[in-house]
Amino acid sequence: MTNTEASSLDRKGVPTWGTLTGRLVRVAVALLPLLAFMGIFFFAPLWAVIEASFQDNNGQFTLLNYTDVFKEPIATAMRTSLGLALASAVVSAIPGAVLAFLIESRGGDRLRQIIASISGVLANTGGVPLAFMFVAALGLEGSATGFLKAIGLDIYGTGFSLYTFWGLVLVYAYFQIPLMVIVFSPAIHGLRREWNEAAKTLGASGAQFWRHIGVPLLFPSFLSAFLLLFASAFSAYATARAMTNGTIALLPLMIGNLLDGNVIFDEVNLAKALAVAMVVVTLLAMVPYLIIQRRAQRWQQ
Amino acid sequence: MKLLSPRQLPLTIGLFLASLFVLFPIVSATEFSLREPAKNTHGFDNYIWFFTAEDFGKYLGISLGLSVFSAAILLVILVPTVIWLNLGGGRYRGLVEFVSLLPLVIPVVALAIGAQTALPGFAQTNESILGFMFAVLAMPYAYRTLDTGLRAIPLRTIVEAARGLGASWLRTILSVVIPVVRSTVASALFMTLALSLGEFTLTSLLHWDTFTTWVTTMSQSNILGAIALSMFSLIGVFVLLLLISVFIRPTKSNVVAEEN
Repeated sequence: MTNTEASSLDRKGVPTWGTLTGRLVRVAVALLPLLAFMGIFFFAPLWAVIEASFQDNNGQFTLLNYTDVFKEPIATAMRTSLGLALASAVVSAIPGAVLAFLIESRGGDRLRQIIASISGVLANTGGVPLAFMFVAALGLEGSATGFLKAIGLDIYGTGFSLYTFWGLVLVYAYFQIPLMVIVFSPAIHGLRREWNEAAKTLGASGAQFWRHIGVPLLFPSFLSAFLLLFASAFSAYATARAMTNGTIALLPLMIGNLLDGNVIFDEVNLAKALAVAMVVVTLLAMVPYLIIQRRAQRWQQ
Repeated sequence: MKLLSPRQLPLTIGLFLASLFVLFPIVSATEFSLREPAKNTHGFDNYIWFFTAEDFGKYLGISLGLSVFSAAILLVILVPTVIWLNLGGGRYRGLVEFVSLLPLVIPVVALAIGAQTALPGFAQTNESILGFMFAVLAMPYAYRTLDTGLRAIPLRTIVEAARGLGASWLRTILSVVIPVVRSTVASALFMTLALSLGEFTLTSLLHWDTFTTWVTTMSQSNILGAIALSMFSLIGVFVLLLLISVFIRPTKSNVVAEEN
């Protein structure tokens, strides 16, 4: 990482940015609004969730909310959510990586720019409109369903349904594949042509280059992108909610139901424990993602 | 043909399949939204229906207002800080980055629950709470856009040059800093607008009504109308996000998906 650290002292060690007090004031003015804002609207709510997740209905300390995470029907929802995140990450990461590789290795600059713009748009397409778009395409009465039926492929006849686990995996792929292209492309781009040439000059075959240089260099980036897709599918709420109306038991949807008062358990703070469980899973995926991304940036410049 | 040469063929096939996957839902939904089952034909009835719907203007107004509000918040509290990081506060970059990127790792559902209980009273009484929360959710994306954009500019050198030539601080900010950071800041704000306009999770969990939740409510009585509405909002957001790539020509894109 480039260090743009201010040279707040000149060569003789004399402060050039004003007195110490002046600098402290400047730092405070620059940082405090942001920190205060995040404190009130992000850290305080987060802390409230964590705190309440350890309390029972009377505010007494308890771990019961957490033991409920392992009981039915929550255990099933947890498993389904983890399975969905894993399936979505696998199904989207592989074609996304292949596409990124083809575009970076064989496409021109102009194509790369266009793909970057389009991917940026598609990766942020989500939520309710995306769900309805797929309902219009592959729902029971959908256009694509009708078209396929007309050419002799009755997809609902073969047991396909949009409103299932695999239906959601398909819909998520619509923003996950572009997301993979965005996150993984810089890694391939950073794999310098000279390294390939150097390896060839030293007598390496194409396969050897990939085995000893290409894949080991790309694997961490692939893994980190994969984790990002996992976390993104795991915490997705809007698309699943709009599309399935709760027919699939997913953890975020279950938390939503608990909040709406459709309570199946006695503990009012159960939703909070589930939320903390979600935070833990997401952190487990996102922290390595962010760390690997930072490290990879060093050689991708 | 060049596209079909042995080297280019895999790319051609890949791009063809990708475009098919991207386009088929868009084309399908467009066709679907133009259906008029009663007359057994196609036309703009569903679009006319929502444009003339009683609450359309109201909820679109609420959503636009909240989006502008959240963009304004980031303009005031994030933009000056990131500019300052590039001018002389570089040693605090790690702290700012940590704080700004954190919302990325916390599921929106979890944040929504906390917001219900822990937010100050003034923010609880009306929809403005959503504007504050949208600013939190957009923070990581806005920060990345700003950071990548501003690092590409030798801001410190430019400012020192202006100061060295005798410009006052005010003059430096008005005629040097603002012109060079304008496009980056605009991209970050468009990003915030786009994310806020489409936000659903927090809005519905906190039981407020905006354009997106109104669309879901409408879908229960008029699915054709809801799909027409979805197409309308998707086009709006597409245009906003494409404007960003007009402002910034990305060599390395800096957008990551929203919660979905």
